[in-house]
Amino acid sequence: MRQVGGAHRGLDLWLVQRVSAVYMALFLPVFWFCRAGTGYTGWHALFLGLPMKAAAALFVAALLLHAWIGLREILIDYVHPLAWRLPLYFLFALAYAGCLVWAVDILWKVQ
Amino acid sequence: MRFRIYRYDPESIGKPRMQDYEIEFDPQGKKVLDALIALKDGLDESLTFRRSCREGVCGSDGVNVNGRNVLACVTPLEGLKQPIEIRPLPRLPVIRDLIVDMAQFYQHYRAVKPYLINLEPEPESERLQSPEERAELDGLWECILCGCCTTSCPSFWWNPERFLGPAALLQGYRFIADSRDQASGERLDFLEDPYRLFRCHGIMNCVEVCPKGLNPTQAIGKIKTLLVKRAL
Repeated sequence: MRQVGGAHRGLDLWLVQRVSAVYMALFLPVFWFCRAGTGYTGWHALFLGLPMKAAAALFVAALLLHAWIGLREILIDYVHPLAWRLPLYFLFALAYAGCLVWAVDILWKVQ
Repeated sequence: MRFRIYRYDPESIGKPRMQDYEIEFDPQGKKVLDALIALKDGLDESLTFRRSCREGVCGSDGVNVNGRNVLACVTPLEGLKQPIEIRPLPRLPVIRDLIVDMAQFYQHYRAVKPYLINLEPEPESERLQSPEERAELDGLWECILCGCCTTSCPSFWWNPERFLGPAALLQGYRFIADSRDQASGERLDFLEDPYRLFRCHGIMNCVEVCPKGLNPTQAIGKIKTLLVKRAL
């Protein structure tokens, strides 16, 4: 029988994009007020604590998720052949995952 | 007055072209449709366009005037930059001149089941609504299905077969919001789809062009809110 329902997808990613935007909007002003001084010592002191490390890592994760979902929307809009779209999804997912690992590595190197 | 009008004759082998017209016509208090009728009567009887009620009720004369989707019958000639460029609604197949094939548009409209679904026995007189419940439908029921919004939507241009478009989604929400309808769950099931609903990126061209001043983007937002409420 022909299915008349929707794919029951789309809402989760749409919601994640909104939630990540809210987190970024909350994190950035807090980060702005927290930074004490602009010199190396100020920055170093700021990122020494675990809470800031975790919050910053979460920020990068939110940013990358937000960007990937936005990119997925653009690909669905413009790149119609699945043979092109699917590799592009994975390529960017891989690149963004690499960025996240890199950012976490940088954050946790602050000793 | 000078006009540049899109011409296409399916019976000739020629490609679509823009034709220039010049006609003595006082634009004072007149609409674009008046000029089109004058052109057809006085200059070129082969010029083809749809019109019926000529007062913004039937929605049959949606055209693109100077780059903007409008109803020809309610768009004043005064203030339009000349030559006034008139084209068919974008992204729909052209049948002839300014007449487009609305089949795709109506298919999406049919897909949202634009009628009341209520399996309870019919009451003797009518299904009652409170004034508040009735007020929920304001800004939704007024749609005349002219197609100006859907054909101005870039998401519809890119995925016309799969994205329902603002007009169909507005009508979808019109029945979801109806207190007498019992199928809102099924309606939301149908709409929860990356293509049917989530191609809308809030570009709001639909709101910009709607000749009835409706807000499909807001209706789409309300559908998304209902989906979120249902999921969480």
